[in-house]
Amino acid sequence: MIELFDVTKRFGDEIAVNDISLRVEKGELCALVGTSGCGKSTTLRMINRLIEHSEGEIHLDGQPVRTFNEQLLRRRIGYVIQSTGLFPHWTVARNIGLVPRLLKWPRTRIRERVAELMGLLGLPPAEFAAKYPHQLSGGQAQRVGVARALAADPEILLMDEPFGALDPITRESLQHELRDLQARLHKTIVFVTHDMDEALALADRLVVMHRGRIVQQGRPIELLREPVDNFVASLLGGVERGLKEAGLTRVSERMLPLGPRLLARERVAQTAPLRDALSMMLWHRVDRLTVVDDDDIPIGELSLRRLVGGRPE
Amino acid sequence: MAAERHASPNWVLLSLMLAGLLAWLSLDAVSVAPNRIVAGAPHRAYEVMGGWPMLLVTLPMLGVMALAWRPDSRRLRLAVALVVALLAALPLWLAAAVWALVDPSLPQARLGIGASVWLLLFLWLLVLLELRTRLGLARWQGWALLLPVLAAWWLALAHWLEPLALNREYQGRSDQFVAAIGYHLALVGAAVGASLLLGVALALAMRRHAGLQRAGFAVLNFLQTIPSLALFGLLLAPLAWLSARVEWLSALGVSGIGWAPAWLALVAYSLLPMVRNTFVALEGVDAGVLESARGMGMSRQQVFWQVRLPLALPVILEGVRITTVQAIGLTAVAALIGAGGLGTFIFQGLGQAAMDLVLLGALPIIALALLADALFGALADGLRHGGAR
Amino acid sequence: MPLLWLGLLLAATLGMEQLEGVLRLIEPDSREVIYRRDTFLALLVQHVMVVLVASLLAVAIGVGAAIAVTRPAGRDFRPLVGQLASIGQTFPPVAVLALAVPVLGFGTLPIIMALLLYGLLPIVRNTLAGIEGIDPAVHEAARGMGMTGVQVLRQVELPLAAPVILAGIRTSVTINIATAAIGATVGASNLGDPIISGIVNGNTAYVVQGAVLIGLLAISVDSLFERFMPRLAPR
Repeated sequence: MIELFDVTKRFGDEIAVNDISLRVEKGELCALVGTSGCGKSTTLRMINRLIEHSEGEIHLDGQPVRTFNEQLLRRRIGYVIQSTGLFPHWTVARNIGLVPRLLKWPRTRIRERVAELMGLLGLPPAEFAAKYPHQLSGGQAQRVGVARALAADPEILLMDEPFGALDPITRESLQHELRDLQARLHKTIVFVTHDMDEALALADRLVVMHRGRIVQQGRPIELLREPVDNFVASLLGGVERGLKEAGLTRVSERMLPLGPRLLARERVAQTAPLRDALSMMLWHRVDRLTVVDDDDIPIGELSLRRLVGGRPE
Repeated sequence: MAAERHASPNWVLLSLMLAGLLAWLSLDAVSVAPNRIVAGAPHRAYEVMGGWPMLLVTLPMLGVMALAWRPDSRRLRLAVALVVALLAALPLWLAAAVWALVDPSLPQARLGIGASVWLLLFLWLLVLLELRTRLGLARWQGWALLLPVLAAWWLALAHWLEPLALNREYQGRSDQFVAAIGYHLALVGAAVGASLLLGVALALAMRRHAGLQRAGFAVLNFLQTIPSLALFGLLLAPLAWLSARVEWLSALGVSGIGWAPAWLALVAYSLLPMVRNTFVALEGVDAGVLESARGMGMSRQQVFWQVRLPLALPVILEGVRITTVQAIGLTAVAALIGAGGLGTFIFQGLGQAAMDLVLLGALPIIALALLADALFGALADGLRHGGAR
Repeated sequence: MPLLWLGLLLAATLGMEQLEGVLRLIEPDSREVIYRRDTFLALLVQHVMVVLVASLLAVAIGVGAAIAVTRPAGRDFRPLVGQLASIGQTFPPVAVLALAVPVLGFGTLPIIMALLLYGLLPIVRNTLAGIEGIDPAVHEAARGMGMTGVQVLRQVELPLAAPVILAGIRTSVTINIATAAIGATVGASNLGDPIISGIVNGNTAYVVQGAVLIGLLAISVDSLFERFMPRLAPR
């Protein structure tokens, strides 16, 4: 659990972070979003004390971070940055094993852990262990970055725009993997991004920052539905907020059980977001879809009126 | 900035000034000799006129230290003024030392500058450098600060510092001195000019032929590793041989010693930095700019003359700067093979164990090198601002 | 390649006598064509020793100073040291040597001092450039992973900066070999001796002997660096 109490950071006369309070529960993925220069990265880096906060307190599991030894604190917290920061003179395996080595794990345990992580992140050790960072593609390098951060099995992971430099397809697949990893590992993650779709797709809690202050925080759907002001509304997508919300709602939440009517020809998975269903309707020029389960067996139907949340006919 | 107002002490200034004070109080400031041959008798600063004149230097130094304790931009400006005053006051202190220590009835009596005075000059210049950085002064402003200092030294040398040993050496050979500077510069100019023409031609040829590029750089790199003295020496024999066989060469004044081997060696050394910079400059022009120039319909010639060359010019000029500074130093070595120039004084002085004669050669060489560096640096800056950002 | 040059250097040092016939061609009229005031081996050893001592000191001080001013505690001194290194570079080596003599007298000491001072500059400059040229993200990651200052320096900064630092040391040593020869004029005996003596006595054969040996020494050392220098780490 991470708690920030009235934290402020000044650089000279400039206030980068202004009196913010925040609580990230254990196992929660908290996304900090905002325009560039809003203080989100600074906030992140105050947690592992790469930047020292000027006022207030930051607690980790109830203990102020200032009471930890700086280095020991950071070894307990995974850290992933946009440009990976892999050491160019070390192999992939050595890069991943960095923190366990700093923690003086026995050599065999490090080797096993590195192999395990490489498997976890889809980097076959036989192929990648001996490679150097410059031989990797952007997506592979960022996987190594994530593996390195997870190496010593930290409870907390700090990620500073980890997928910001990747092409859209790679980014999306890494987002998927992160979600799967999180479902299995239940880390406490603070995630900085300026990509709103990324934040909406990944976050349990969304924190919007503007000029060093937190303007709103809550579950993504809450923010979409009730933005406190125009800034949050436009940051969350303006008129496209409807589509974004549709992206967060599953088909199963709006469908009707199978009725007496004929099945519609086009089918949609019950786990798909409403947004996909809407897109299918637009594409096929229909106003009704058959909803199917994982085994492609029809279990319900979805009409355009239901999809947009209108009253039942 | 408000937070800077109560800034922590500037330890750089404090330690430099403290080192200066310690040197000033403990090392020899001047030495006095009745003539050129006898070794001088050393004197510390506090031994001159009961130590009163030394306050002229000590008090402003303490002042600078006090200002550096709580530096803000106003105090640092004040410190600049104090240091400039110090640099200008030093010849006055020397004049006092001359008046107190040198017997005016001995025409050959001389006052040598001692370790502490040299050290002070050096440390104060460092202090000025540090202050210039902290205050963010432009390069020309830094140089402008030195003008009053130079004026003060000029005045003192002309009127009160006649017995200064350096001055005595100069008075003995003022004509030679002026001629040596002229000759030194002429040799440097001829070598740099030739290597500029040759270097640009070579670089252009290298851009056409990849094979020439590799071979060319290999040869030039190899030349650069041969020590200058060795290269000068190695040119003696073939040139002597040539001038003995080929009449028109000897008629030109080419011989194993003198300007010919010096000039050749200087050109050989200058080629590498010149070719490298020209090549890198021409190749390093942003591909996007070139592409858009071609895309706008400029011909090859137009692209080269209107885009590539102007953008490359500052880097080429950087090559000229490196080459010139290097050549000024190498020409001093060339004095060993009879090429003349300021190096002559250095080696004469070393031969006669006359240290002030050595200084008479070495100081102007350093000054010339610094001046050339500043001049070409400013020129390149100017080109960058005007032409390419 | 280095072996070839070293072999040539040794052969020339020990077997100069055998070349008398060739050298006689250069200087047919002189009584003596082989420099005999000292053995070439002794001169070579002297030369190498002076350069070695000065270079080792310069490396220790130069790398040390550059590391010191890139630490948080020494950061105040960074601008001054950087400017000093680039301004110092414009000082001609001969002038530095000449200025060392009045302070330290004749002999080997002023040469070592001058070589040390002059050799410092490329080392300081390159060490600074090497350390500061490291991708800030790498530095940030190293700290973020919980490495201590010493660990960052030893495991990240120095290995990554090593090629640039070594290039500075190479420049420094090359200049020092050349400048040490000029030291023969201030009374140190080394490979510059035959050259100076040859110039003074008008005996070109002496000059050739000294010049060839210094040239071979310089090229040998340079090729040693070339051979054992680590390649620049990719990206």
